This record gives sequence, structure tokens and C-alpha cells, in this order.
Amino acid sequence: MTRTTRLVIIATICLSFSGMASAAEATTVSELIADSEALAGSEVTVEGELVGDYGFRQDGWMWTQLNGDDYVHAPIVNGGEPTGGNTGVGVRMPFELGEGLDPPGGYRNRGPIVRVTGVWKHHDPARQGESYLEATSLTVVEPGRPRSQNPQWPAMLVGLGLLAGSLVLWRTSRGDQTGPK
Amino acid sequence: MLVKPTKSDFKVIGYYLGRISLIVAAAGCLPLLWAVLTAEWHPFGSFLLMIGVFTALGVLGSRLAPRHPKLDWSHGMVVVALTWLVVPLIGAIPFVLSGHFGTPLDAVFDSVSGLTTTGLAVISDLDHLATSLNFWRHLLQFLGGLGIIVAALTVFAGPGGITLYLGEGRGERFLPSVTSISRFIWTVAAVHLVVVVAALTLVGWLVLGFEVHRAAFHAITMFLAGFSTGGFAPQSTSIGYYHSAIFEAVAAISMVAGVMSFGLHHSLWRGPRRDAIANLETRTILSTFGFTLLLTLLGLAATAAFTDITGLTRQGLFQIFSAHTTTGWATISSTELSGWGGLAFGGMALAMALGGMGNSTAGGVKALRIGLTIKAVINQVKQALLPERAVVGNTYYQSGKRHLTHDTVMAVMTISLLYVALYLLGTGVGVAYGIPLQQALFESVSASATIGLSVGVTDPSMPTLLQIVYMLQMWAGRLEFLALFSLIGFSYAAVRGK
Repeated sequence: MTRTTRLVIIATICLSFSGMASAAEATTVSELIADSEALAGSEVTVEGELVGDYGFRQDGWMWTQLNGDDYVHAPIVNGGEPTGGNTGVGVRMPFELGEGLDPPGGYRNRGPIVRVTGVWKHHDPARQGESYLEATSLTVVEPGRPRSQNPQWPAMLVGLGLLAGSLVLWRTSRGDQTGPK
Repeated sequence: MLVKPTKSDFKVIGYYLGRISLIVAAAGCLPLLWAVLTAEWHPFGSFLLMIGVFTALGVLGSRLAPRHPKLDWSHGMVVVALTWLVVPLIGAIPFVLSGHFGTPLDAVFDSVSGLTTTGLAVISDLDHLATSLNFWRHLLQFLGGLGIIVAALTVFAGPGGITLYLGEGRGERFLPSVTSISRFIWTVAAVHLVVVVAALTLVGWLVLGFEVHRAAFHAITMFLAGFSTGGFAPQSTSIGYYHSAIFEAVAAISMVAGVMSFGLHHSLWRGPRRDAIANLETRTILSTFGFTLLLTLLGLAATAAFTDITGLTRQGLFQIFSAHTTTGWATISSTELSGWGGLAFGGMALAMALGGMGNSTAGGVKALRIGLTIKAVINQVKQALLPERAVVGNTYYQSGKRHLTHDTVMAVMTISLLYVALYLLGTGVGVAYGIPLQQALFESVSASATIGLSVGVTDPSMPTLLQIVYMLQMWAGRLEFLALFSLIGFSYAAVRGK
């Protein structure tokens, strides 16, 4: 086999693999929402955080929400700036894809950041016009992690102070009303 | 001559404002308790501060008590207007301290939107919000929907109670005393709370497969928002989050209960039940609902937005139901909603503008006013077409046969026109900021009629003036103008009176 032939074979294999990789178009959650109709039925790969709940339904599908906004990497609880609302889409996947995932994102947890490949369903007739991503594969990019926030001591102390002051004032005024004239 | 309010007037107003503050402080204990039970200590502090401020205001107000705190008409109206200003301001404290709002004005915006049962929101990262704060957002809607004043009147009602009751945009007296009306309203709310929360929890747990405590959380928050026709939701994707027609159907029960006037609830519970169908208000809202639904479905069918009839029906029906009941939940994104044009847009905007029934938790012009306006116009046309000596029947049925007097028509027309003016005010300001007319109109109607559906104009990056205008629209729309004008008049008299 000549060197040229070998190069052609290697190039062909590489191209084949690159073709396979690009079959699912890499996109974002924002693009799914903005170009929902245009992307209908296409296979896409989206990255984001799973948030809310994992709903394991009796029909064998698990439903959750995939968010692709600034808060995936910089949530407000961890000091991220408030830059607007969340950007999320519904995702449904077979049970086996959803089992064993870290808890979904919420106040107590940063949910797992995942790369989901699946078919974008726009106004799916089978689900009376719902739009969602039907996942066929899922890769965990970053596992979920628990989060915590410290108590707001100053607010708590001022609040207690106001309540105590109010109580004193109330008792004083009662004394004024009921005391000897 | 304009009479300057005396010290005694201010004392009476301060006294009642104080009493109402104490009631709201008590309501604030619920999210505080929630924070304790879920060990959410960060929001706990902010709830404590909020309760402290409400309590201090309450005790200070109570100290102002004159010897005989007699509440007259103008006092009552001013108390109502001030209550609806003070409560959202102080109620926004936990939002400000949560870090989920870019500015304090954003936090107040959501607080006003919550209390007025609108549902427009500028909150950031709702999906990571503490559950106790999320509960407080929804509880604000419930308090606003039932009426803070109604809540207060249940606990203390004096001779001036009726003024407070009417000032909150309620005009129907289906029971002899204000206290009995207040208690009936709370009974209706409590019964629906138990039934709908139980049903939604079961659906969330058994059908949607949520963990049971999460199912209960969703059920409680969605009921509070649904019954108050408020439209907040615990997740950023609104009711579309659940991807379930069954969940939507059960949640719709709370919307129906919310949009019905409490007088109608009373007829259904204690009779006469024929009023439920015979009333002009009921027939009007059923007609306008059918008409706007038809418009929207035809519009959606023309644009081929949905490829099948079931999708078209479910999505179109839910959106129009949400709009007409002034709830504001959506199963589609605001991006998609903003793309609805033609008849679909017309149907939605009209449904929002018309609104629900009077003396309910809903907003908008209200069905009875629409019905009476149509009746007055028809009578005028008949009068013009028939011979001069012909007598046109001038009655309508609303819990009994009533005469449509000139005064009633004038009052109805005035309020209706004020709503139209309010819709146009926000539209004009929106257009001045370069927002396309259709979107500016939609958002303005949504704010004024306390709906909450958005085509994306309401956003943390929106212009400050527009944000303030929307807040004023929500406030005026919820109180139906009377209390607002009374406050303006009282303030003017305080400055310029003699």
C-alpha cells in the first residue's frame, strides 16, 4: 500500500467520524427556544444544568428541565450576578438515562451539568402540541453539588430588635390605657 | 372649598393602616415557619426583618388611636390605597435581600405584581430560589387575590368596614354584613385549598412521578397562584414545566374558582343555583370566552402554528383560558407568544382586556360591565329604530331583576373607559421606548388587567420609567381607580386645602 493510499484511507476514516459527530447539531437552549420551529425534528446536542424535579412517569419516560443560562456556572446563591430570567426547556428521556443522576438543581443543589443529545420536538402532535427535547444520550459534564447560604445575621438582629421594641411599645400603650388616671 | 385634613383624619388613617400591618405581619409568619421547617436560614433573617417592620408599623399605628376611631368614606379609600402601597414595599424586603433582583425597584416590581395578582416578573434565577421565598411570592398573590382588607375585616370589622371592602374593588354585597362576606370568602378559599392542593399533590406524585414533598410544594404554590388568578409559578417555565394535560386541567379548577365572583360562589353553595346561569355576568363571560377562543383558534389555524387539531386545541384553549381568567400561566414560551399575530393576537388581547367577573380575584374591565355596556348599546339602537312612542325594556337579571338606570350606565362606562385609558397609557410609554406596537399593547394590557402573560417586554433590563408605569397600572387596575383617585384627592387637599 502506497503512502498516498494510506493517507486517503486515514482521511476517509477521519471524515466519517467527523460526519458522525456533526449529525447532531450542537446548539444552545436559547437557540432551541428562539428557533424552535426551524429546529423541529432535528437531532441536536445541548449542554446545561438539570433543574427542578426528576419525574419518573409510569410510561417509562423521565421528565426534567434543562437550563442553559448564566446561572449554570454562576448561580446567584454562589455570588452570581442577577442578569435576568432562566432559560430552560423540558427534556424527556428513557428511565435508564435518568437513573443515578445527582439531584436536580434548586436552592440546595447545583444540578448536574449534562450534554444531552436528542431530537427537538416542536409542537409534538403526539403530546398535543408540547415542545421539548427527547434525549437519546446523556453525558454528565460536571456532577451536581450541594450548596449552602449563610444566615443573614444583621437582618435577623434588626428584625428581632424591631419586634422587641414593638412589644415594649405595645405594653407601654396598654399601660397608658389601663393605668390609673 | 377644599377642606384640609385634620390631625384626627391622619390618626384614623394611621390607626387602620397599623391594624392591617399587624395582619400582614401575622401572614408573614407563614413563610418564616416554612424557612424554619426547611432550614433555609438565609431567607429566615429577611422574613424576620419584614415581620419586624410590619409589626413596628402596626404598633405605632395602633398608638395613634383616637378616642373613637370612626372611619368615613374618604378615610377608608385612603387606607385601602396606602395599604396597597405599603404592603408591597415592605413585603419586598425578603426579595431585596435574596440577591435575586438587580435593583430594589425590581424587587418592589415583583412584590407589586404579586400582590395585585398580576404575575409579571423580573426575578433572576427563579429556578434556584429558596422554597420559602417562592412560597412568599405565591402567598402574596393569595393575599392580594382575596384582598388584604378582606383578610383584615375577618379579624376586625367596625362601622367603616364597608368602605374598606368597597375600596378594594369589590362592589357586590351578597350577605348582610361585611364580616359575614369576609368569612364566606375565606371559607370558599379554604375549601378549594384543601381540595385542589390534595388533587394536585396526587397528580404530581402519582402521574408526574415527583417526590411527594416536591409534589406538595408544587401543589401549594400553584393553588395559591391559580385561585388568586395571579399567575406566578414555582419554576421559570410556568405551567409548561409540568408537561401534563391532567395537571393543567386540575390547576384550571383553581382558575375557574378564582375568576368566579364570590356572589356566584354563594349562589352555587347556598342557592338559588339558577342565578349561576341566569345572571347577566355569567352569560357575558361565557359568551366572551367562546368568542375570544374562536378568534384565537382561527388565528392559530390560519398561521399553521400547530400541525394537528389536538395540539391547536389544547394549547390555544389553555392560553385563552389563562388570559380570560386573568391568571397568566403559559404552556408556551414568551418568545413563541410574541409571534402570535393576527386573529390569535386579537383574541388573546381582547380576552385579557375584558377580564373576569367582578368581586372575584380576577382583573380586567369585568364581565358585568361588559354585559351592561352591550345591553345599553343594544337598547339605544332599539330606541333609535323603533317608533318614537315604543318602550324598550330596560331590565337585566343579576341576582334578581334590576333596572338599567342612566346612573348605572354612566358608572359602568366611566370605569370601562378608564381601563381603556390605562391600557393606552402603558402602550404609549412602551412605544415611546421603541417597543413594537403589538408587543407594547399586549404587555400594557397584561399589566393593567393584572394578567401576567408576557411577550418578553417585562425583563430586568426594561426601562425604569416603563417599569414604574407598569407598577402604577397594576395598582390602579387592581383597585379599580376609586381608591387611587381618593388618595390623590386626599393628598391634594392635605397640601392645598384650607
